[in-house]
Amino acid sequence: MRKKEFSRIFGLLGLGILILLLGSVFIGRYPEPYWMPPGLLSKDQLARQLVLNLRLPRLLTAFLLGMILSATGAVLQMIFRNPLVEPGFLGVSQGAAFGAAVSILWLHRHPLVIELSATFFGLLALITSYLLSTRIRYGGWVLRLILSGVAVSALFSAGVGVLKYIADPLTELPELTFWLLGGLYSVTWRDLLFVLPFALTGIVVVYAMRWRVNLLSLNDDAAFSLGASLTRERVILLLVTISATAALTAISGVIGWVGLIIPHISRRLFGASAEKSIPAAMLLGGGFTVIADDLARTLLAGEIPLGILTSAIGAGLFIYLMISMGIKVRRDG
Amino acid sequence: MDKILALENIHFRYSQDDPVVLTDLSLDIPAGKITAILGPNGTGKTTLLHILLGLLKPFEGEVKVSGKSHREYSKRDLSQMIGLVPQFESIPFNFSVFEYVLLGRSPYLKPFQLPGEEDVRITDSALEAAGISHLSEKPVTEISGGERQLVHISRVLAQQTRILLLDEPTAHLDLENQNRILKLLKRMSSEGITAVMTTHDPNAAIFAANHFVLMNQGNIAAQGDLSQVITAENLSLIYRTPIRVEQTNGYTMVVMDNS
Repeated sequence: MRKKEFSRIFGLLGLGILILLLGSVFIGRYPEPYWMPPGLLSKDQLARQLVLNLRLPRLLTAFLLGMILSATGAVLQMIFRNPLVEPGFLGVSQGAAFGAAVSILWLHRHPLVIELSATFFGLLALITSYLLSTRIRYGGWVLRLILSGVAVSALFSAGVGVLKYIADPLTELPELTFWLLGGLYSVTWRDLLFVLPFALTGIVVVYAMRWRVNLLSLNDDAAFSLGASLTRERVILLLVTISATAALTAISGVIGWVGLIIPHISRRLFGASAEKSIPAAMLLGGGFTVIADDLARTLLAGEIPLGILTSAIGAGLFIYLMISMGIKVRRDG
Repeated sequence: MDKILALENIHFRYSQDDPVVLTDLSLDIPAGKITAILGPNGTGKTTLLHILLGLLKPFEGEVKVSGKSHREYSKRDLSQMIGLVPQFESIPFNFSVFEYVLLGRSPYLKPFQLPGEEDVRITDSALEAAGISHLSEKPVTEISGGERQLVHISRVLAQQTRILLLDEPTAHLDLENQNRILKLLKRMSSEGITAVMTTHDPNAAIFAANHFVLMNQGNIAAQGDLSQVITAENLSLIYRTPIRVEQTNGYTMVVMDNS
């Protein structure tokens, strides 16, 4: 797809997402299920409060969350040259889950403390994965990082299991379980401000470096011959994407499948070049998560955990793509 | 001889614990010619190319480009001077041929810059020069091995480097595709590009090259023109099998001695 055609389709996609965002403000269960007439905002104080203090920060956080998970998934899949990599694979998701569990059980249940603890342990998992990979004595850097990520993820996952086992079943376990299922039901403007610096840094750096991501998806010798600074560029991209993912996971809980499936859809629609597929993945991921969150707060009288919906829709889409469109996950030779 | 690339007393091993791969190796690459580096598998040919590229650093010795040390050039300068056609490149994503060749323009882009109209024009010319314009919109993962090798060469054509390193460019290709690749290489050389190709097929080397280097066990066994290097004695020694060099209608041909 050449530039002009992409600009036109990308513009239309952006317009569609904008309409979705505006429409989502009025989707919910107040004053009655599914739709709030926009005129109500000028008449009903409660509706105004609801939109300004609950729906808007939640909507924007959902959009940022989808953008970051998709951008991170797209970047990691390309720099690890593996279409099955997803944002949590360096242990970040499980690390953040462990951090949240530690906070709920032993530190404090104040959302800010949970967020800080989840971010801290998410980043700790990333650093541990990296340090462990430098000690493995065989395989290339991709294999070493993947192996150490699997091991660190399993360790933190076991830790979460232990904490669930010892949690008070009446007070702590329900909160912990609901957090692990993922959701944006408690997001406030303060949460949004907490993740904003991480998210914006991630989005701006990935967007600016999207051409370099193409280079990093080549074999090391080819990428080097084309002027890539392999280690430096990979470290910058890993740092900004994974820390943004950790910060957002800290307020959303574990949200699966967005970072795996959206980059595939974006590459199928806009081609493999990250110049186009990464900005498109950000918009598609943001839109996908906003729609999933609309459904999460609207479908039933009680909140459906967002992580369940993204996993169900994501896995369904993945199966559809594999069967109907021949999604390519082979390592090509 | 006007040498554009030179290796001076190179010693190399991958790490302190690994065995030495190259020992006190010195080599001059003449400008504007096709140099073929021949040798059996595992003798250090790819390592040598990666050292010429700058990807691997020797622990002793000096690599010189146009008389200046590698270290005196920035990474960007080097990538505008030396291009690489790798031996094998796995491509896990469906880049179109055009998108893939456009990556060759990267050395000319600033860190956050995207390719512009001029880069697109140069890429289209590179595809045309390699005779694969018709494949432009096809996914790289869905073309044949020979076409893919032409795509790799197009990428270095788009890179517009004066020096071209090719790692086993005709390996795994049928005779028609070997012929296409080697003829394209000869045409590029006639336009002033210096090419260094590794191969373990002496006949492919004889077809294309005009300067020959024989490698054996991490060092240079012989270097010079065809008659100096491609002899039955040299080849039999390094390939450890009886080999004959025959002249047929003015062409030199290497055959295994079956007698």
